Amino acid sequence: MPSFISNSRHPAVTCAKILFAICAALSICFEFLSDYLLKHHSETYARISQQYADALRVRPAKPGEPMSVLMVGNSLLLDGIDVDRLQKLTSSQLDIHPIFLEATGYYDWLYALRRLFQEGSRPQVVVLGVGVNAFLSNSVRREYAPLMFFDLKDTYNIASDLKMDRTGASNLLLEHSSAFWDTRSVLRMQILKHIVPHCGELFLLLKPQPPVPSEPEFGTIANPRLQQLRRMCEAYGAKLIILVPPTPASEDAVHEMTLASRSAGVETLVPLDPAVLPANYYQADAIHLNSEGAAIFTVALATCLPRQLLGHDAVASRD
Amino acid sequence: MLFDSPAFFLFLIPVVFFYWRMNHRAQNVFLLLASYFFYGWWDWRFLALMIGSTTMDFLIAQKIVPARQNPHRKQWFIFSLVLNFTILGIFKYFDFFAGSFVGMLDNLGLHHIPLPLIHVILPPGISFYTFQEVAYIVDVYKGRIEDSRTFYDYGLFISFFAHLIAGPIQRPGHLLPQTQNERTFDPDRFFDGLMLIFSGLIRKCIVADNCALLVDAVFGGQLGPPNFWVVLLGTYGFAWQVYGDFSGYSDIARGCAQLLGFHFMVNFRQPFLAHRLQDFWRRWHISLSTWLRDYLYIPMGGSRLGTWKTIKNLFLTMVLAGLWHGANWTFVIFGAIHGIVLPIERFFFPAKARAAANSVPAPPTGFFALWAQRILTFNILCLSLAFFRATSLHAAVQFLAGLSNFAWQPEYASAFFLLCLYSVPLFLIDLHLEATDQEYPFANASYAFRTAMAASAFAALALFSGSNLNAFVYFQF
Repeated sequence: MPSFISNSRHPAVTCAKILFAICAALSICFEFLSDYLLKHHSETYARISQQYADALRVRPAKPGEPMSVLMVGNSLLLDGIDVDRLQKLTSSQLDIHPIFLEATGYYDWLYALRRLFQEGSRPQVVVLGVGVNAFLSNSVRREYAPLMFFDLKDTYNIASDLKMDRTGASNLLLEHSSAFWDTRSVLRMQILKHIVPHCGELFLLLKPQPPVPSEPEFGTIANPRLQQLRRMCEAYGAKLIILVPPTPASEDAVHEMTLASRSAGVETLVPLDPAVLPANYYQADAIHLNSEGAAIFTVALATCLPRQLLGHDAVASRD
Repeated sequence: MLFDSPAFFLFLIPVVFFYWRMNHRAQNVFLLLASYFFYGWWDWRFLALMIGSTTMDFLIAQKIVPARQNPHRKQWFIFSLVLNFTILGIFKYFDFFAGSFVGMLDNLGLHHIPLPLIHVILPPGISFYTFQEVAYIVDVYKGRIEDSRTFYDYGLFISFFAHLIAGPIQRPGHLLPQTQNERTFDPDRFFDGLMLIFSGLIRKCIVADNCALLVDAVFGGQLGPPNFWVVLLGTYGFAWQVYGDFSGYSDIARGCAQLLGFHFMVNFRQPFLAHRLQDFWRRWHISLSTWLRDYLYIPMGGSRLGTWKTIKNLFLTMVLAGLWHGANWTFVIFGAIHGIVLPIERFFFPAKARAAANSVPAPPTGFFALWAQRILTFNILCLSLAFFRATSLHAAVQFLAGLSNFAWQPEYASAFFLLCLYSVPLFLIDLHLEATDQEYPFANASYAFRTAMAASAFAALALFSGSNLNAFVYFQF
């Protein structure tokens, strides 16, 4: 008889089995608890669920109705746009449906938009605003996005697109399948906020900002991405617009993004020249707009977006 | 497959389950195949390299056994060493030396010299398994061990997944007999293995991965230009990160080995409680420092050939130890700092150093003297670690130049608080382990207590693990 089996009643083996059972039970508890917390106490989850469900109901406008616009982006739009005000200012011309999830980039929205289209969303216009850094970055957000934006097949494709190794791919798969694994860093942050003073501000600082590559690398990365997004949107009858929100020192990046978009046949919208917006319109992290900056950006966007979509005359006649 | 990833545990649990239901021969074949699967999980292409290198050394070893009196045994021995170090050199150092050579010619005014760079990806664990293969060849040649007659045993000695990627570097005299002899299931050691895995996960996922957040921000410039506080945060943070990371890895490796009835040597013994750098190297990455001592320092003459040759041997050994960590001048400087300080220690503490040739040097008896020496040693180490962590010599010098600026920013307080939150518990654990001479905390407590502690560790891991799955620092070596 193998020694393992003959020793199965030894207290060490019994305790090992108990430990295994406790770990399994804790895993199940954490999964249920995370799922509960996510669905009942997470503002982000509630917001994204609501926005996603709204986006699924978007259909092309009938004659006389405002044009349907799906606006997606990250914290640059979440902090930089007063959605209620934007909707109010543009309500006669545009029916805007936003989905803004912090720390998302190109790959998050490529797959999220594809899934939205596949599930029946039919906006006439898709406005994507993630900032140049996030548009060029090779990553996806590992919290919320795998659970809420991707399906099982997407996780394989994303892992392949991002050249993840098998460990990375299996973790992404787990983040898609498990509420706990998807949100564990969010939970950790909530705990740390209660322990470490000014933890939120510190973690904003600690977040790395990848440098924006310069030409010709910029175009090499941006062009295929823009074309892929454009083709996907066109396949579902939507027009793609790249919205470039202002960030300090992004002047060159905005210029390069505009050039890359033009060569990819995609329209760019730059409502505010970053050079004209002083530093006091930004938050302490010097990346996101504060409420005053957001007010200015919202008004500028409300002016520029209808003009770009409907043309000067159409806007004037509707007004 | 990272040791701290769920995929690894999905691999480990069935391996352990089926392994103990097999006989010895089947166990070795099964473990060898499992290890190849584990290695191939990264990249199947490198598996061929490792199997090829293992097979060559297995065959060469049979030709160099002293008892068989092969007239060409010395040539085979040299051939094996050249082969092993050539493979390591090509994959790890070729681009570094070629690039440095071109840079030197460029400085001498010889521009545009065409020297091809091969840009190969470093095969995981190549430094570790090469050192094990070299140790095997040397030990067989010197007649210290018998050559392995079975490829499965030798293959398992080299490729056993628990040590394959980042050690501990196993000695043939220690591990090879374990692969050759039947292993019996020892419930106590099995349970200790589980505890070591939990201990390792806490060190890696909670201490190292969270310190890494701070350290990456410091060296990435997110906390602003380097000044005294930023340098302190970066170097202290990195010291705890790399310690948590590698000692965590070693604990998990040792734990996995114990689950399968093997015993690996201890690789870390509270290194930050060292009172001298010499003492530090007897506590830090012990499997590497003893390897370098036995296969490099002592064959070069060690301390037997007079003061200057001892200094030279120490310096060369430490520079090569630095270079082993990576193909970059920063690692050479890291090693050189240790190579300079170690002889200075011998000069200032000659009697104690000589007495300590084969044992850990005796620490000072006074409390304040002991802690003053420990703090000094830790800070010298942190200075060298700035080179270890920096991406270039220029970056390291610029980083350390910030030490003269004392400008304080309010956010540093939170950063130091966070660093203390993760490092102080590990420091206290080390004090406890030093006082009790245990392998892991509460090693002598009852099974029930240790089970409760491990369950608490599991909960802590779930809630406090660093969010990013950072590869182990030593995987790149």
